[in-house]
Amino acid sequence: MGTNVESRLRAVWLALVVVTLISWWIGSSHGHQEFRSSAPITYAVLLIAAVKMRMIVRHFMEVRHAPDALRRLTDGWIALLVIALLAIYSFKLSMPAV
Amino acid sequence: MTSPAASISSREAGTVARRPGAGVVLGEPDMWAFVLFECLIFASYFIIYMLYRMADPELFLRSQEHLSQDLGVANTLIMLTSSWLMARCVQAAREKKFEIASRQVVLTLTCGVAFVALKVTEWSMKLREGLGFSTNEFFWFYYFLTGIHVLHVLIGFVVLAVVVHQLRSPERRSQEIVETGATYWHMVDFLWVMIFALVYVMR
Repeated sequence: MGTNVESRLRAVWLALVVVTLISWWIGSSHGHQEFRSSAPITYAVLLIAAVKMRMIVRHFMEVRHAPDALRRLTDGWIALLVIALLAIYSFKLSMPAV
Repeated sequence: MTSPAASISSREAGTVARRPGAGVVLGEPDMWAFVLFECLIFASYFIIYMLYRMADPELFLRSQEHLSQDLGVANTLIMLTSSWLMARCVQAAREKKFEIASRQVVLTLTCGVAFVALKVTEWSMKLREGLGFSTNEFFWFYYFLTGIHVLHVLIGFVVLAVVVHQLRSPERRSQEIVETGATYWHMVDFLWVMIFALVYVMR
């Protein structure tokens, strides 16, 4: 395999593994206590998820070589999704009780 | 849409000629239309989940405590690794190293099987603890999101089997089909990344 591409893919995989372990550590550092609502943990975890999704899309799905429209669409989707989720979380928006 | 042959030659130089902005998508554009459609569907699931979660954050936190973070992480690492192997397969096929490419797909499939086996183990553990689909809203979402994702993994097995079938015989080899399969599999991967964050880790 082309060593350049191979080592880049390996670096991406390694980075994905490392950030996953970071979110694990963030999530379990409080594991011995009761689960408590924590905005910093939620923000960190959702932002890490966004970075991971973007890395998969950019490098594994090769969107960095794709037409601009697809790059903007995928980046836009990830950004909008995470902003929407964090907005719902921060402003405590919820389903109206039925 | 380019013919498979044209697609191979445009990508053959691979490492040298492909630069950002070259404007090529991985595999069939139709698969990308499907990926974007799935992105919309899953985004609505995730947003509905969050809206329900904020209606009763305490219930969700107390229920989430019953999930094993370790199993969630193991699932994530397996999924990420499978995606990496699939990316290696695409590159190997591009370089006409079909033996290596086909080995990578088989490894990807193996990771997929391990992923599903782990999920089924987790579900049966939870069910034995009496935590089922109708226990509460958190578990409803837990089974729904992980279940629909596993369904996508199972469809992925068919996709990967097609890729293996393609790679095994010289007459059938099409770089475009290999890449189209990879695009599907990576989608399954990044959707799991968000499910893991929302269901297992966030507080």
